[in-house]
Amino acid sequence: MGAEEGAHGKGRKVVSLIEKATNSTAPEVDPRLLKAIKTVVRYSDSELRFATQTLMDIMKRDHSQVRYLALLIIDELFMRSKLFRTLVVDHLDQLLTLSVGFRRHLPLPAPPAVASVLRSRAIEFLEKWNVTFGVHYRQLRLGYDYLKNTLRLQFPNIQANVERIHQERRERERRSKEILLRKYESLKENSSSIKGGILTTMDEIDECLEILHAKQESVSDYILDNEEHGDFRSLELQQLRLEALKEGEKVYENSDNTVVFDTLRELYKLLVTKHFVSIKEWISVLVRVEVADNRFRDSILKEFIDIRNRLKSIKNKCEEAGCSLQNSSKHDEEDFWEEGNVVSMEILSSSPNSPNKHLGEASTSHEMNNDNLGLHNTSSSDTDSLLDKEHKTESNSQRSKLIAEAPAVRWSSYLDNWGSKRVFMANQRGLELESHWGRVDEDAVIPADKIAELNVHAMPYEEKEFEIQPCLAPLRKGGLCQRRDLKICPFHGPIIPRDDEGRPLNQSSSENMSMDLRTDLVEQLSKQAVKNVCERDQEVAKKREIDKRLLKRAKLAKIREHNEAVLRDAALASTSRSATLGEDEEVGNADKLFVRDNKQSLASMLRKKVTSKDRIAQKLLSSRARVTADRQQVSCEDFKYRDAFPNQW
Amino acid sequence: MHTHMWKQIRDRETGKLHANHFSNRVKSNRISQLQLSNHKDIISPHKGAINSLQIDSTEGRYLLSAASDASVAVYDVQRPTVSEAAAAISKHTSILVVDKQHQHAHKYAVSTAIWYPIDTGLFVTGSYDHHVNVWDTNTTQVVVNFKMPGKVHRIAMSNLSTSHMLIATGTEDVQVRLCDIASGAFAHTLSGHRDGIMTVEWSNSSEWVLVTGGCDGAIRFWDIRRAGCFQVLDQSRTQLGRRPPILKRSMITKDSSTKLRAAQKKHANGSGSRQLPIGRVPSKGPMKQRLHPGMLSTQDRATAHYGAVTGLKDTEDGMYLLSAGSDSRLRLWDIESGCDTLVNFETVRLQINKPLQLATTQDSTLVFIPCMRSVKVFDMWSGNTYSILRGHYECVNSCWFNQQDQELYTGGNDRQILVWSPARSIADEMDEGPAEDQDNWSS
Repeated sequence: MGAEEGAHGKGRKVVSLIEKATNSTAPEVDPRLLKAIKTVVRYSDSELRFATQTLMDIMKRDHSQVRYLALLIIDELFMRSKLFRTLVVDHLDQLLTLSVGFRRHLPLPAPPAVASVLRSRAIEFLEKWNVTFGVHYRQLRLGYDYLKNTLRLQFPNIQANVERIHQERRERERRSKEILLRKYESLKENSSSIKGGILTTMDEIDECLEILHAKQESVSDYILDNEEHGDFRSLELQQLRLEALKEGEKVYENSDNTVVFDTLRELYKLLVTKHFVSIKEWISVLVRVEVADNRFRDSILKEFIDIRNRLKSIKNKCEEAGCSLQNSSKHDEEDFWEEGNVVSMEILSSSPNSPNKHLGEASTSHEMNNDNLGLHNTSSSDTDSLLDKEHKTESNSQRSKLIAEAPAVRWSSYLDNWGSKRVFMANQRGLELESHWGRVDEDAVIPADKIAELNVHAMPYEEKEFEIQPCLAPLRKGGLCQRRDLKICPFHGPIIPRDDEGRPLNQSSSENMSMDLRTDLVEQLSKQAVKNVCERDQEVAKKREIDKRLLKRAKLAKIREHNEAVLRDAALASTSRSATLGEDEEVGNADKLFVRDNKQSLASMLRKKVTSKDRIAQKLLSSRARVTADRQQVSCEDFKYRDAFPNQW
Repeated sequence: MHTHMWKQIRDRETGKLHANHFSNRVKSNRISQLQLSNHKDIISPHKGAINSLQIDSTEGRYLLSAASDASVAVYDVQRPTVSEAAAAISKHTSILVVDKQHQHAHKYAVSTAIWYPIDTGLFVTGSYDHHVNVWDTNTTQVVVNFKMPGKVHRIAMSNLSTSHMLIATGTEDVQVRLCDIASGAFAHTLSGHRDGIMTVEWSNSSEWVLVTGGCDGAIRFWDIRRAGCFQVLDQSRTQLGRRPPILKRSMITKDSSTKLRAAQKKHANGSGSRQLPIGRVPSKGPMKQRLHPGMLSTQDRATAHYGAVTGLKDTEDGMYLLSAGSDSRLRLWDIESGCDTLVNFETVRLQINKPLQLATTQDSTLVFIPCMRSVKVFDMWSGNTYSILRGHYECVNSCWFNQQDQELYTGGNDRQILVWSPARSIADEMDEGPAEDQDNWSS
């Protein structure tokens, strides 16, 4: 007896869980409640029986939302428990009637939006069940068959769709294979011509380069002669020299070799845009194609790879020679160092053009004018800069030190008479005023200090120009993130210096911990982790508090709203005050209210939305309104009559 | 349960248990486990409601079904046409279909199709197109054709008959016609009903006795050897419970037959009328003639149901008759006394506009009644619901119980023929499909 009672008690538990889970307006069952139901039901068959009974009862409720949630629970259990299946399958027609609503005298209940969802989900579930368990349960097959073939309901046909997609994919693969094969065949036929075309281009480029190098030899000799005279005292200058040497080896375009450069550029363009692409394509074709005879394929693949490598080397040579086609990145870099006030980063410092940067900072006052003018148009030609460098090599180190300390000043017209002690004639501007305002002092002079005062250079405060660094975190599809944010990239977290492949240079940032941690880092990391955890906990706690407060506020708002609604209703209905009073008292109890609120929301789903039209109709068509209208009309007619026949009584 | 079974087998071995008893026990045990069969599907080609089902009485193997789309089909219920080894589901497709494409097919719904009781070479169909056709099974040609005055609701042939080949037909017309296959003409026209005849049934105790139920609510008994009906069942005449068992009764008659007769007479008088024993020696002929209830107008007006009588089924021993009416009542009649035995069957609702085909088990302990979308199994003598078979999605029209395999076939408006069979033994299930149905909880 006791055991039985215990079982009953347990049954109550699962019943109450299900009741709670289905008493909600959410589109999904609360996952925690669902989990609780599953765990309770899993270990006890009697609970499962109770659950089945309860769910079937709940399915009979006159509310689509409740039925919908119950159906979701049923599906969860159905996919898991055999006993549940056997129990449910016996009442499958009932379940389908209540969830699909295919019987005309038993349509689905009220909120129509939810009802349609319920129906579609029920059909979907039935199909799923039939696919998975149809073999074991005749009832499932029957139900599916009935809905599909007799009622002709539209099933989502998931299985068939999957099948079809597979079929399509296979078809596509087959077609692409065919295309590959065809390409391969064509390649077999005219591989020699393709190779020939590329080889001739490469040969031509080689020739061009040879011509250029032959011309250039004399120039480099000249530079070398010059250099022997110079004395290089500082390391910096030595570096400069090396740089200059390297630069000197390069061939620069001038009037003599323009034609050669033009052809070279043409050929380079052809190489990059056509041959390089085509060879890549062919290689991919060869890699992907499947043929019975691999010998030809392998040999030609080898050849193509060789050609590609040669192409690459030639391309590099061309680029060295100054044929840059679409390397805009190079331009960027140039801009970069010329502006010169960027926060330096390790990547940059390791880059080969860092000496140039130093050079740029050390611009002499001599060149100030020149430099300032040419600062923003980037094309101070390389030959010019070469000359500049020659000047600089002669300047002594002290001067350069001073120059390093000297402030950079913006160029403007005041520089025209910087330091001059000239006086200006005040009244000799070429305009003869003819003592219009009285006597004019022709010899009036503005003293130099006055002039200087007038010419004081106003320098607007300029914010240090700071280029925002790109995030540079590695992207999944390859490449680096190019977003520029000040501190935190929304996708990759705080912006930290990274190397070329996007790995963070500063390993201690806990966000991007790589797996190959060194042992000395571990301690630091653990500290960091503890700190992070603490912070997160604090954050969570804070958040929870805020949430709680928000919830409370929301609840209060709800209460207020409810009260207002009640009052408004009361006013509209103009019922006696006592009726509404009782409701207000109920509202006082917050706990009760919560439950009531929930129920109300379920109930409110059922309520039809009252439009303004309805309200107007209600006002106009109410019996009282009609009676008053009638009376008014009658009295109106009376008046008219009286007016028409004033002497009649 | 299984230990019980083993004990019975041991008893049978030692001879403690009679062979008949043993088989009956096994059968009743199987019947008690009846459920929707998962391993046997009958795939019906019908596109309309199934109106009647019958297994042939010679082999117990061929199921004949008639449907509203004017088609008739035959299935082999023993040997599946397609057996899906992986799924362990045997599918029985029709081995013979007569539908509208056939040149002699019926135009409208076929209401009944029955086998010729002697062999499966012939079957008879009755249809709403006013025709009763006799078909040769092997050639699927019409051999004999009868034109009826109205829609044919139900036809029947006697399982017992040795001297006649009559098809009793109940039609819209008030007269019951007996069609003679041998001559191809109407042998009898039985008039007495005041409305169309919904259902006809031959007695299981006499080859000459026919029972008909009409839309006027009357159940009439006809002896085809003489004119007029000899009994009309009256729902106001009742008796409590069944007659004493035959064994005891025969003992009593041995002891004091006269006394019993007197008692019987008294009883009959008490209930206001005298009933006629069926198939008794015709020595009482003149008396029967004199007392023919068909002559008495008061008797003649009696009804067995309010509304139409939609189904009739007499027990295997021919002593009781079960009737279903459109008043959603089931009545069990004692044929000899003509009284309602007042067994209360817990029906909820019965279909009212179609003749129903009821079925009983061989020993007449259980009866299968189509109750709207479900089939209810009742205990015949107490009327208690034994079980409810749910599976059809629309109304069930007909049941047929296969005595040989203890299987129930049901046909309904949802075009399905469902097989209800005893649960398979564990040994059978062991070699089922590869995919065992089991729990799959997430760990």
